[in-house]
Amino acid sequence: MTTTAFTHPSVLAAVLTALPPFLAFVLIMLFLQRHRVLAAALAIGTSGLSLCTAVYLLVRHGSGVPAVQYQAEWLVSGNIKISAGAVLDPTSIFMLCVVTVICFLVQVYSLGYMAKDPGFSRYYAYMAFFEGAMTALVLSPSLLQLYVFWELVGLASYLLIGFWYEKFSASEAGKKAFVMTRLGDVAFLLGMLVLLSHLGNLDINELNSAGVINALSPGVLTMSVLLIFGGIIGKSAQFPLLTWLPDAMEGPTPVSALLHSATMVAAGVFLFARLFPLFSASSTAMSVCLAIGTISMLLTSTMAMVSRDIKKVWAYSTISQLGFMIMGLAAGGFVAGTFHLTTHAGFKALLFLCSGVFIHHYNTNDIFEMSRMGAKSLKIPMFFIIIAAAALAGIPPFSGFFSKELILMQLSGLDNPLWLAAGVIGAILTSYYSFRLIFILLRPGANMGAADRSIRTNSNTHGHHHDSRSEWLMGLPLLFLALVTVSIGFFQDQFSHLLSPEATADAAHAAEHISWLPFLAVGLCVSGALWAWVEYGRRGSAQIGIAERLPVIRALFAERWYMDKIYRWLLDHVIYGGVSRACATNDKKVIDGSLDSFARGAVDSGKILSKLHMTNIQAKLMSAFVIILLLALYSFFEA
Amino acid sequence: MNWTLFQPELYYFMVVMVFLTVSMLNSVSVKTNYYTALISAVIGVAVCTMSLRVNGTLFYNTYRVDLYSQLFKLMLAVGMFLVISVCNKLKSVDDSRHPEFYLLVATATLAMMMLTSAVHLLTIYICLELSSYSLYILVFLRKDQETGVNTALKYFLTGASASAVMLFGFALVYGKFPSIYLADLVESIPRFIDQPSVSIGMLLMLCGFFFKLGVFPFHFWLPDTYEGSANETTTFIATVSKVAAIAIMIRMVALIGGNSVYLIKVLIGISVITMTLGNLCAIAQQDLKRLLAYSSIAHAGYVLLGILCMSPNGYTGAVFYAVTILLLKFTCFMVVISISKKGESPSVDQLAGLHRRSPLLALALMLALFGLAGIPPTIGFSGKLLIFTAAMNNGYFLLVFIAMVNVVISLYYYLLVLKAAYLKEPVDDIQPLHVPFPQKVLTTALIITIVTIGIFPTYLIDLADAAVKYLM
Repeated sequence: MTTTAFTHPSVLAAVLTALPPFLAFVLIMLFLQRHRVLAAALAIGTSGLSLCTAVYLLVRHGSGVPAVQYQAEWLVSGNIKISAGAVLDPTSIFMLCVVTVICFLVQVYSLGYMAKDPGFSRYYAYMAFFEGAMTALVLSPSLLQLYVFWELVGLASYLLIGFWYEKFSASEAGKKAFVMTRLGDVAFLLGMLVLLSHLGNLDINELNSAGVINALSPGVLTMSVLLIFGGIIGKSAQFPLLTWLPDAMEGPTPVSALLHSATMVAAGVFLFARLFPLFSASSTAMSVCLAIGTISMLLTSTMAMVSRDIKKVWAYSTISQLGFMIMGLAAGGFVAGTFHLTTHAGFKALLFLCSGVFIHHYNTNDIFEMSRMGAKSLKIPMFFIIIAAAALAGIPPFSGFFSKELILMQLSGLDNPLWLAAGVIGAILTSYYSFRLIFILLRPGANMGAADRSIRTNSNTHGHHHDSRSEWLMGLPLLFLALVTVSIGFFQDQFSHLLSPEATADAAHAAEHISWLPFLAVGLCVSGALWAWVEYGRRGSAQIGIAERLPVIRALFAERWYMDKIYRWLLDHVIYGGVSRACATNDKKVIDGSLDSFARGAVDSGKILSKLHMTNIQAKLMSAFVIILLLALYSFFEA
Repeated sequence: MNWTLFQPELYYFMVVMVFLTVSMLNSVSVKTNYYTALISAVIGVAVCTMSLRVNGTLFYNTYRVDLYSQLFKLMLAVGMFLVISVCNKLKSVDDSRHPEFYLLVATATLAMMMLTSAVHLLTIYICLELSSYSLYILVFLRKDQETGVNTALKYFLTGASASAVMLFGFALVYGKFPSIYLADLVESIPRFIDQPSVSIGMLLMLCGFFFKLGVFPFHFWLPDTYEGSANETTTFIATVSKVAAIAIMIRMVALIGGNSVYLIKVLIGISVITMTLGNLCAIAQQDLKRLLAYSSIAHAGYVLLGILCMSPNGYTGAVFYAVTILLLKFTCFMVVISISKKGESPSVDQLAGLHRRSPLLALALMLALFGLAGIPPTIGFSGKLLIFTAAMNNGYFLLVFIAMVNVVISLYYYLLVLKAAYLKEPVDDIQPLHVPFPQKVLTTALIITIVTIGIFPTYLIDLADAAVKYLM
């Protein structure tokens, strides 16, 4: 399992995947700030190299080469050992492929989308940095290494959200994302420290082994797992740390596609899958995860029902789908969760990239506005976005159907039918809001007056001028992703077999029990779509959703269940008003005060002492003799 | 009798004779004097280096030549070379007195060299007095007669009192054990260490060295002498003389200290008071040389901390610290000499604008002060680390803590000096400081040495370790 040689072809390939993007980042930042073409070529070139090596790894290990782990000791302190290296097992290789494919496509797409942006080179530098950090995260064999790159992707996210930093809301959103995810990361770090103090080791393989899990007392196990789950909550924007993700849509759309839907936010789910055996060992923790996933999924589905901003809808949907993945994993469905992660990455990236085309073209984020300006005349993106929305809604034969059904199946296996019910409701809502958006785009309706000016992208400074070449560049990735979305569902069996051979048998076993589930799934999404059709698509419909008819509900959903308001209040009154103030007072009065008085005391006593030294020689000699005499007398007491 | 063991001392005796002759002639120019002194100092360093590894005893066992003494002799020779190298102007000494100046410097160095080898109470006494008397006259030797007399008299009175106390201590010990060979005392003292006459005798004996090193309560002479004597003389006292004092202190304590609880307690008290007093007083100083004098007192406290551990590690630390003081203090005084216009004692404010007048000197000053404060990667950090580690190993946690607090206090006034050199705008003259080329080379070499030994102290530590082995 563990190899120490660097000559192993898989290890070499892993190094070639993770290292070049970092080099590209450094080179672009240092030398290529003014060379747009070279910068983009370098970033896309290294991304292509990463993609090739990732595919090579997939093919190599897909055809039966056993998992490989390379580690070198990085830090040794007492009996605590921290190693660094790369692990190549099915989980990491799949994630690696997802990351590199989407990175590559998004970077090609950005050639068109960002063509006229003054920060073009900087954009590609950040993108390369993100890719390097994300691949290294995926390859990490130890939690600490994973944590390091986890923070680095967080940094990349911060930089890219605030990419248009001259826009106040963008830099604010970047800060918000950074701080909120950091809250989760603190929990993650604490969880790691708990594990480290009990095991002296953070090797993921060892953490997942039965021996180590048995060595921990149940309380410690649950605590550490829940703390680590805190990190997942932050990164995957789950309840209660979910409000940063919709705001993160301030970044360029390709960034949203890459970081804030397909890959970076999925890192949380990936971590869950990575530590799946450890998480599974604590049933309490699994229940908490299940509950958090469910709450996040339902809450954000409702938010998506009323949003007019196309990117916000997909952002809410991302949170909801991540919650759905966590539900699947927490219900014990390792394959279900990871498979949904994979399919979701494909269709969500497609959704964002298509939306990017619309935003690029009409210079607005408001779906009603777009529709009024004739969104349906953009035939090709319209076609692709419908495919992607269908996949999101879970309509067969698109990829979302297969993965969603897997998760529902897993939920149906739980004792409490409540979880399945929640999943069902979630599926209906998902279908509803996806088709709501599609129907709005397709049918310019009567609801124009209320066009919300506030969500227009004010990107005039970043001139979205379009020419045929840039649209062609933006079209190719769409085509590829659409192909993936259509086809990947049919590879479900191969996927689950590769990922975990035992689980396939279980799944097949379960499928026999509930043969009606596929029909339920199809029924759900069709009913959701029909609902949307009735309210938005039907000729003569008012295009006002059921949630929008009740002002209270509408406000509740649109204000994100007042979560931001509550956080603001807590921040103002508890953190700033209480904790910060106490700390500041302590700093000023106690710490500064004591240091100042110490310093003043030192200076004053120095002045007094040096004045004493100004006397004449007789006094000095006398005092010297007296002191020696006293010291001599002291010997009688000591002896 | 093997005269090769006595080579360095013979060589310096010869140098003394040369300058004695020169001082009786009238025709020798200032330049010739300087270069003669410089060349003889360089040869002296070579002679001491050659005889580094010789070993043996001389003069009926009153004189021991071993790696320990030879290492210190080398340091003294280097110190003398450094001091003479900055004597090219010798502004505050009358031109006709230059030969006498070199004569006395060489005599003092010779006496100190013999002090490091002396293992016989009378030999020690004679060497100590010889070096002290040379210094008394050196202090007196300056153009401004009134200041010279004043300062020299104060210095002499304190020194004479300290010698008297020391002689009294010798008498007490001799009265108890009719022997003045350290080798005999080593055997007898531990058995009677708890008797007041022995322990008090030991304490009084050490007073002579306290005076040399500037340890409380015999530190009073330091600020006055530093301020009042010629800058070059001060440099000599602050570097070479301190090294010799450390050498003999370590030997005395190592040989006859005998782990006396009383002595250790007294030394702890003296060490704490010395470093605290030195650092606190230094804060209030306006005169640069007075400030450095109090800093010297504080450093004497740190050295004492290493010595009172009475363990090989502590002695190694103290030996290392002697090198530290030699290099760092010399660098500071070199700057003092350079910025002093007519040989007067410069104030801290006079440093203003130094980084523009001479960036090299400012850099050297910064590194030296950082070294004195114990900031890595300078040699001063390694020195403090060794001493503090030794003390911690002996369980003197509180002592180390007090020393740490002292280091923080000392940082304050060192940074005040740096602030003057780097941030303060000069009032009037900002013309560049003329630094002759040889001095530039010397300064660069000092900078490199301070940093290099700070990063790779192993060689020097090993050497000090090996030297300390000969003590036991």
